[in-house]
Amino acid sequence: MGKEIKKFRIITICLIIIICTLFIYIADDIPNFGDPNAPPIKFVEILRVELNQESDLLDQNKIPYQLLSELTNRGFPIPVRIEKSSEYKDEWNGFIIKEEPHYEKEEKYYFIKKEDSFLKVYRYAFVVRWIEKGLKETAVPNMVTYGLADYRGYDTLGETTVIFTAGVSVILLLRRKSRL
Amino acid sequence: MKEKERDVIVETVSRVMIPFIQLFALYVIIHGSGGPGGGFQGGVVFASSFILFVIAFDILGGRKRFPESINTTLSSIGLYIYAGIGLLAIIFSRGMAQYLNYGFIPFTSHFQENRALGMDFVEMGIGITVMAIIASIFFDLAQKNE
Repeated sequence: MGKEIKKFRIITICLIIIICTLFIYIADDIPNFGDPNAPPIKFVEILRVELNQESDLLDQNKIPYQLLSELTNRGFPIPVRIEKSSEYKDEWNGFIIKEEPHYEKEEKYYFIKKEDSFLKVYRYAFVVRWIEKGLKETAVPNMVTYGLADYRGYDTLGETTVIFTAGVSVILLLRRKSRL
Repeated sequence: MKEKERDVIVETVSRVMIPFIQLFALYVIIHGSGGPGGGFQGGVVFASSFILFVIAFDILGGRKRFPESINTTLSSIGLYIYAGIGLLAIIFSRGMAQYLNYGFIPFTSHFQENRALGMDFVEMGIGITVMAIIASIFFDLAQKNE
């Protein structure tokens, strides 16, 4: 009995050390706390393309061929329109067509940025649409409520069911002698 | 069991407070889409008024004002309202199967306004369920001695 526990102890310590080193190895990639450009808040990097004369084409609102073939190879939707970002230089927004009833078909999907000799392509996170278009789409000014009850309606239905189940189980446990 | 002592101050204050607590709970539920709040919070506030009543008066009076049969019915009715609104959305979207997409339910002529109104009804459903379940759990725990 004692020997087995000792063996397990050594295995456990080894496992913890391995996991800790893995975490330290990964920690480099974790976004900084409060970083406005972190993947879950703003965008995720998809790919980077070497830069030749692409930025001139992008400035004329045209999509460079290399970028298009690269996106098609990886199975991403094709951008239909490129627009220069109003805030910064060397940044562009890509729009795609989405099949949604009752709303504008175009949606802001790609974020293209020039850095050094590369053209980096990012994909916008859902939060960006949530913040920018929520009021227009749902006519509710409260960002939390339209998230809770509309965009994540299924989730809230499940939460309500969980509360209902908790109540029913308390009734079943504590009210056994009387009738339900 | 020993007869409970009656306290004039506590009884009077809670007699004044309880209607206002319930009104505030309804306010929180109805204004869930405009300000802070919503179904969960409003339901808990409403249930707290029952708890205050039981603490200030007695549990049998509380049960008489909020009977067990109504309590059990309400706890499922809220969930039925929520799921029923989703079902209405399926019916009115005519074959597109948009479950819980409130925009298709024709409350008004605007798609966006429909979504806002659908959200309000859903919040009411959540509020009813949460209120009934919290009250039910509280009464079950408090009634154990009998």
